[in-house]
Amino acid sequence: MPHRASGPTLAGVSLQVGLSRAVVLRGDDVVAIRSVASTSSFIAPTALDGSAVPAGMDDVEQLIRRIVGVAGNSLGAVTLDISQILLDALLHGSNELPRIAVIRIVPVAATDPALARSPAALVERLIEHRFTVSGGHDLLGHELCPLDGERLREVTAQLAAAGARDIAIVGAGSQASPLHERAVANEVQRSVPQARISVASDFGGQGLVAREATATLDCALGPLTDRLLLRWESTLARIAPGVPLRVARGDGGHSTSSRVRALPVVALGAADAMQVAGAAHLAHNTDCRVLLPRRGGQVAGDVRNGLTAIRSGELAGFGVELVVPTAVLTPDRGDADHGLGRFTDVPVILADRDFDELACVGAAVTQPTSWLDEFAFIESADELNRVLEEVQERANAIVIANGAAPGSARMAEVSTVAVPYSPPGTIRIRVRVVGEADTDPRRLEVFDRMAR
Amino acid sequence: MTTKACSATGTAGAAVDLRQPGYVGAIASISSEDVPALFEGAKFYSPAVGDANKSSLTSWLMGLLDRNGPVSLRRPEAMAPDTPCISLCVIGSGSAMADLPPSGNEFSMAVRQIERISGTRFGAIYPLAAATVSALAPVVAASQLGVPLIDADGMGRTFALIHHTAMYLAGVSLTPLVAQGPTGESVLLQTPAGPRADRLLRGNVDALGGWAALAAYSTTVGVLRRAALPGTMSRLINVGRVLLQYTDPDQLVIRLAAIIGCRRIGRGRIVELEHLSRPTDWTIPAHPSSLVLQEIDGLGRQFRIELRSEIVAVFADGELIAAAPDLLCLFDASRGVLATLDSLEPGDLVDVLATPADAVWYSPEGMAMVGLGSHGIPLPHPRRR
Repeated sequence: MPHRASGPTLAGVSLQVGLSRAVVLRGDDVVAIRSVASTSSFIAPTALDGSAVPAGMDDVEQLIRRIVGVAGNSLGAVTLDISQILLDALLHGSNELPRIAVIRIVPVAATDPALARSPAALVERLIEHRFTVSGGHDLLGHELCPLDGERLREVTAQLAAAGARDIAIVGAGSQASPLHERAVANEVQRSVPQARISVASDFGGQGLVAREATATLDCALGPLTDRLLLRWESTLARIAPGVPLRVARGDGGHSTSSRVRALPVVALGAADAMQVAGAAHLAHNTDCRVLLPRRGGQVAGDVRNGLTAIRSGELAGFGVELVVPTAVLTPDRGDADHGLGRFTDVPVILADRDFDELACVGAAVTQPTSWLDEFAFIESADELNRVLEEVQERANAIVIANGAAPGSARMAEVSTVAVPYSPPGTIRIRVRVVGEADTDPRRLEVFDRMAR
Repeated sequence: MTTKACSATGTAGAAVDLRQPGYVGAIASISSEDVPALFEGAKFYSPAVGDANKSSLTSWLMGLLDRNGPVSLRRPEAMAPDTPCISLCVIGSGSAMADLPPSGNEFSMAVRQIERISGTRFGAIYPLAAATVSALAPVVAASQLGVPLIDADGMGRTFALIHHTAMYLAGVSLTPLVAQGPTGESVLLQTPAGPRADRLLRGNVDALGGWAALAAYSTTVGVLRRAALPGTMSRLINVGRVLLQYTDPDQLVIRLAAIIGCRRIGRGRIVELEHLSRPTDWTIPAHPSSLVLQEIDGLGRQFRIELRSEIVAVFADGELIAAAPDLLCLFDASRGVLATLDSLEPGDLVDVLATPADAVWYSPEGMAMVGLGSHGIPLPHPRRR
């Protein structure tokens, strides 16, 4: 686990609907802080300008002052876990989220309505308009048919007429070639200048439906995340100038606040990863299994080399796969002393501390991360090495944009597998890169400006 | 979803309903409630591709079965022998299908095209390979076309090439065949030689987007009685039910051993993934790669697992201990789920499971077609030694 003993004082905050939690971590000392119970439910119209204020906002100043009061001048960073606010908005407060228009780029429109929509009701109820434009690429980025420009102009005219502002775009094969997605995004931006656009190729990953769901959620969560984090950025800058604000990611790492405002969906599921990481950190263990008692039954998450085990897949309760990775939690009825649970050959830790405090600890000690999941074609071992180097370089660049110090990035996990039943040489590459958090305020400011 | 549908009369004379989903025996129909088990069983019989498109495919099929009613699953012996039938599968990559999902009519259109060419109206559908998405596709088509599904298939798992079937060994013609792509385009192929059909088709499938709905092996139910592997769809759903109920690896193996003869070869942690580990035959999908596992208990052996689109061989400390045509798969012991070949990662803790294939694959003709030699590993099969 990073950031032990000699590191700076770090704060982790778990934003909640109602009562937010925070911890200040100084070496092995953990000081827990609770916010005053929020008066807001999900959205409270209490902002001075009359706009809606998401939960977790109205107690920002008070919470930051308490953190600074405990940490003093040695406060090195504040890391927020906003995932529970986002999840609550999706599950219960969806009327407050914008309605999304989805443009799907595939060679042929679905003939069965079930294939035209998302299998997840949670995603589908966010979508107000759906359009299909002919186009798309195959798994390796070869164009399957030209983008239908005439249809695209019809669609953008309809978007403008309907006053649609929040638009998610997904194309077949866009993880390999984003050309059609970009062309559609450009045309939409030209016709609807005020549009907020999420393109699926920003996330990569396997599966059009999974990428579409990810881009749709990203688009829907944008305004809420923006307001939430802008408030935290400005308040922290006023009370504790120079202390960076970071945001926990579902993949167990963190990004800068400005990066998460640009891609909010990466914060979904962070609470699970942070709880596992927090429990492992407090147990001083970098390779272990963490048991988390939950209302629906105990679950287990693994920690390998100090990182929570993650995969892209379905986040519990969503009903559809996402391409942003999250912690792998599996039902496990065992206990730390007697076993009886799933088989493992690493120490088992029972997380008996308050979950939100664990999430705060996990958030406080996270490192900047990046994750790529791509397909490539190789014909030799040399070519495989070249492709791997190229993917690693891109992952390194992303982790630096996410707040890592230049030169600190390292490949934490890499997996290359041959893609079954594909032409020989087709491989799937997944890399997970971590870095040390950058503390240079000038560089952080540059990356913040770039993220905006 | 009735299994072993029957009733018994108790001592008091009251009828006792015994219609509980079971793990053995023939299944009479497939309803939307069976789809989760169908999907899991299909993954067991070909653990090539994971869940990237699971929710979309399963909700589509469940919707079809809810709208149109359950698909009747019939054993060939229970049907008129002169009933024309045709097999269906997905040719190509499940990953490509996840990225370019079906529009919805590919499978029924492939069947209709063969009907137009041959002037035959098919009265039943059967799976070319009852495994992976190819086990779901015939159920989709049967539901859309309103015909029964035959409880038999050509492979009893999946093999790499479309002539690696019991039908081909029995002399049933593979062509005419139609590959209907998700691009709205299709390919009709006619050739007397099965191996040529696969060769001619692969390039077209790539151009169609990496996968296609394939309709082939048109024949009659009477021929199928001797030319196909019976009961494989029922078996697959039964296995899927076990997989859904038991996530503990030890309990799971005990149950699977009882119904399909599955055994655990060993348990280990993945320590290495290697590519191009053997010479590549470019006419067969997926290049050779290898997986190295360190056994974490027992003898502490090192397993070397040779992969193509499926697992083809398992070596323990250099000794061949299991090989194709055995069905070899990996079960993630930590997560309690099947570990699919497209999502393996160093550090994963897996059980290596081996299940005997259908008997036809251990015949000299079967071994020549799908045995170790066909994967460039000229060693005698462990079951023969």
